[in-house]
Amino acid sequence: MTSDIGTDTSTDTRTAAAGPDADTGSAGLDATRVSWSAEGRLILDGVDVTAPAGAVSGLLGPNGSGKSTLLRVLAGVQPPSAGPTGAARVVFAGTDLLALPRRRRARTLAFVEQEASTDLPVTVLDAVLLGRIPHRSLLAGDSDDDRAAARRALDAVGVAGLADREVTTLSGGERQRVHMARALAQEPALILLDEPTNHLDIAAQLDALRVLRDLAGRGVTVLAALHDLQLAAQHCDHVVLLADGRVVAAGDVRDVLVPEVLDPVYGVRTEVLVHPRTGRPVLTFAPRG
Amino acid sequence: MPRRTPITVPLAVLSALSLAALAGCAQGPDADAAASPTASAGADAVGTAYPLTLDNCGVETTFDASPQRVVTIKSSTTEMLLALGLGDRIVGSAFLDGPVPDSLADAAADAPAVAEPLAEQVPGAEAVLGLEPDLVYAGWESNLTADGAGDRGTLAKLGVATYVSPAACKAPASMPDPLTFDDVFAEIDEVGEIFDASDAAADLVADQRDTLASVAPDDRGLTALWYSSGDDIPYVGAGIGAPQMIMDAVGLENVAGDVHDTWTSFSWEQAIEADPDVIVLVDATWNSAEQKIERLESNPATARMTAVREGRYLTVPFPASEAGVRNVDAVVSLADQLAGLDL
Amino acid sequence: MTSLRPAADARPAPDPAPGRADRGARARRGAAWWLPASVVVLVATVLVAVTIGPADLSVADVWRSIATHLGLGGALGLEPLGALPDGMVWELRLPRVLTAAAVGAGLAVCGVVMQSLTRNPLADPYLLGLSSGASLGAVLVLVAGLTVLLPVAAFGGAVAALAAALGLAGAIGTITPTRTVLAGLAVSQLAAAATSFVIFWSATGDSYREILSWLMGSVAGATWTSVAITGLAVLVLGTLLASTGSILDAFTFGDTAAAALGVPVARVRWLLLVGVALLTGALVSQSGSIGFVGLILPHAVRLLTGARHRLLLPLSALCGASFLVWADTLARTVFAPREVPVGIVTAAIGAPVFALLLWRGRRVA
Repeated sequence: MTSDIGTDTSTDTRTAAAGPDADTGSAGLDATRVSWSAEGRLILDGVDVTAPAGAVSGLLGPNGSGKSTLLRVLAGVQPPSAGPTGAARVVFAGTDLLALPRRRRARTLAFVEQEASTDLPVTVLDAVLLGRIPHRSLLAGDSDDDRAAARRALDAVGVAGLADREVTTLSGGERQRVHMARALAQEPALILLDEPTNHLDIAAQLDALRVLRDLAGRGVTVLAALHDLQLAAQHCDHVVLLADGRVVAAGDVRDVLVPEVLDPVYGVRTEVLVHPRTGRPVLTFAPRG
Repeated sequence: MPRRTPITVPLAVLSALSLAALAGCAQGPDADAAASPTASAGADAVGTAYPLTLDNCGVETTFDASPQRVVTIKSSTTEMLLALGLGDRIVGSAFLDGPVPDSLADAAADAPAVAEPLAEQVPGAEAVLGLEPDLVYAGWESNLTADGAGDRGTLAKLGVATYVSPAACKAPASMPDPLTFDDVFAEIDEVGEIFDASDAAADLVADQRDTLASVAPDDRGLTALWYSSGDDIPYVGAGIGAPQMIMDAVGLENVAGDVHDTWTSFSWEQAIEADPDVIVLVDATWNSAEQKIERLESNPATARMTAVREGRYLTVPFPASEAGVRNVDAVVSLADQLAGLDL
Repeated sequence: MTSLRPAADARPAPDPAPGRADRGARARRGAAWWLPASVVVLVATVLVAVTIGPADLSVADVWRSIATHLGLGGALGLEPLGALPDGMVWELRLPRVLTAAAVGAGLAVCGVVMQSLTRNPLADPYLLGLSSGASLGAVLVLVAGLTVLLPVAAFGGAVAALAAALGLAGAIGTITPTRTVLAGLAVSQLAAAATSFVIFWSATGDSYREILSWLMGSVAGATWTSVAITGLAVLVLGTLLASTGSILDAFTFGDTAAAALGVPVARVRWLLLVGVALLTGALVSQSGSIGFVGLILPHAVRLLTGARHRLLLPLSALCGASFLVWADTLARTVFAPREVPVGIVTAAIGAPVFALLLWRGRRVA
């Protein structure tokens, strides 16, 4: 069964995402000078982030490094604070995201939170259909297009069989995937995810990342915060490493996931091996000292 | 305008006689004991034999002597003492329901505790005890609770007797069902006995009986609604309380008389369906007769009632609508007003 | 590529009670029928309720009265009813039934909005101190004897309470649902304490009965003016609120998710709260604070329709209207000739229903 996201004919989506271009300049995400502070504490300090289109980029960093906050600012859910070096700019495919009207932004980018829960008796299908809200008038009901897009999203993450189940009855991993499906139903050109592999078994983690790679293969820009460095090593093309609200390193995964960079940030001793078949880094960690 | 039967003359006579009658014989009809609480001292004794023990609302109450310092709560009890010429015993009054009737105005003026009440609401126990009373005479049973003037048992332990107007007893065994004038007169007699003023009481009762007997109940079978309070949901006199008693004496049939209660919440729809011939308006400071008329006339449904269209209203002041010394006056007044209506 | 197998996950999905599992599917299938059915039920309810009452009026009489007032008397060759029975039908029962319908609809809609906005299944229209504020305003004028100002004072009290609650929530920091609820609680308690104090201090004689009747909520005094006020409020504000189905859906997973779906969260929250306050204030000014309708109806209707607001909102309104009309009919007939305030009936019904919902293990949402 193929996943057909991205070939839908809805308007306004991913006009610039044709032709994956490793060069971030024209098609990917380019954010500069993103800062955020609360109650006098600087959580993000002038962060510059790029994520190329058509690739899976990982946002890494220890707890408290500001990953979630950065994603929320990029998603437009939290406005950036005035930074020490000037105002933040978040540009995607040539468009200033922060200046976009909300609904247009919601048609362009989707954001999957770390924890999103509800007590209401919402079905999986209904939850995924929420992703279609930016695409239709607020007074209208679901159209056939909407339902088709929702079904495609459900298929892509493999929860089609759960369509009529209530979200509250699902396991953590199933719920996580429903949230991903909701984001996919938005048919975004840019998708931001905050720890999408939490609560998932290994197999499900791999499946989730495979969905993201499929998306990237269609030209979608994917930026996911991951705390599992090994997963990042295995699946990401491009990574950004945050520590204490600053970018410590960014670039190809083979360049960033090296002991010289990781050891001071995580406080461990890293050993990097090369996977014989894939050529990707394999990491092992030992305590410092 | 209602004419009140002047009882100043009998009152003057009583005052004169009571001085002489203290050691003399008390004459007067025995109170009808059928519905009244029992007394262990005979009513025809020379004076009251103390200690006097009574059952009052199910509580055994003992009086060692004639009370000298009384706190009265509510108009019914205050006026009772004034009518018996015992105004000088009142050291504090509270929660009065309106001005005293003209007939008692002089007595009230002579009683500073009545002219300047202790409180507008139920007074607290400490305020009451501060007056060092030997009796708290309450018009409603609920006045004597710990939150109010004091719990009856507690006050008794402190040497303060308590007495509730028997018509206001709420316990089924003690509540008069129905309330009759005999019950009202029995209370007057009992109060007289408590204060060793049985002569005064007997005279007052005799006088009230005569007055009552002089009123012939209307025999035209007129119906009436006793509108006590309430706006959206009217609160009316029902079948077994003072309103019914008064209406029976006046000769009015109570449209809410089937309800087995003293007062009851009613419905405008039923009132309109019954379409009473007259409406009795209770005039209270918090809800005056004028306000009631305003309400009746401004509501398009009630405005169609015959009594409202033709202004057939009878007015009775609130204190007179509760069991006490003013009920007979109320009967007389209502009968006069009824006769004055063009029916 | 293969589709992901759900079984790859932690454990085979346990099969819950079938009712819950396919409720969503059932809801979708039945959806087309619920709205027209509930409209029919409401119309029938109103028509029947008008003919019920303690007075001895036949159904034919009631219809005669209504027909003549609607100008159909001539066409149908009907004699008008006598002044008194006609007054009972046209000035007492009909306004009362219509007001109950409007109030029930408005409270139910407000209940849905409040529960979704604050993501709290125990929320009701009075959450932000609206009813306590209205009660304080009402009690103050009742005690002062200025009964004619009652509706204005109740409405003003409700709005003032909302302003106080939002102001308090805003003063703490960013306005979050939790803060709003807590601030509303504080304002509620304050207003309730003030109300109790005023009652205790000044209520004399029987005036407490009026106050009690208002506090419990009653439509006994409804006139055509009440119908106009509540009807207009429900038609204008209620319709506006009921059209926010998609927006409220967006809040299902929280504020962040709603923002990510393109909803201007802070602005929408303000507008919705103000809308609820205005509508609730208008309703409460005519009927007092009738409880349980705004709390229970949304849960009951969700059992039928699931959580999609597009259907939940209008259906709650219609069911709320029917429910309150029946409750009021009970209130004025069960204890005839006495009447109880309808708030007592809604509480008597609402509390056990609530307990039943909990006991049967369904999620209270």
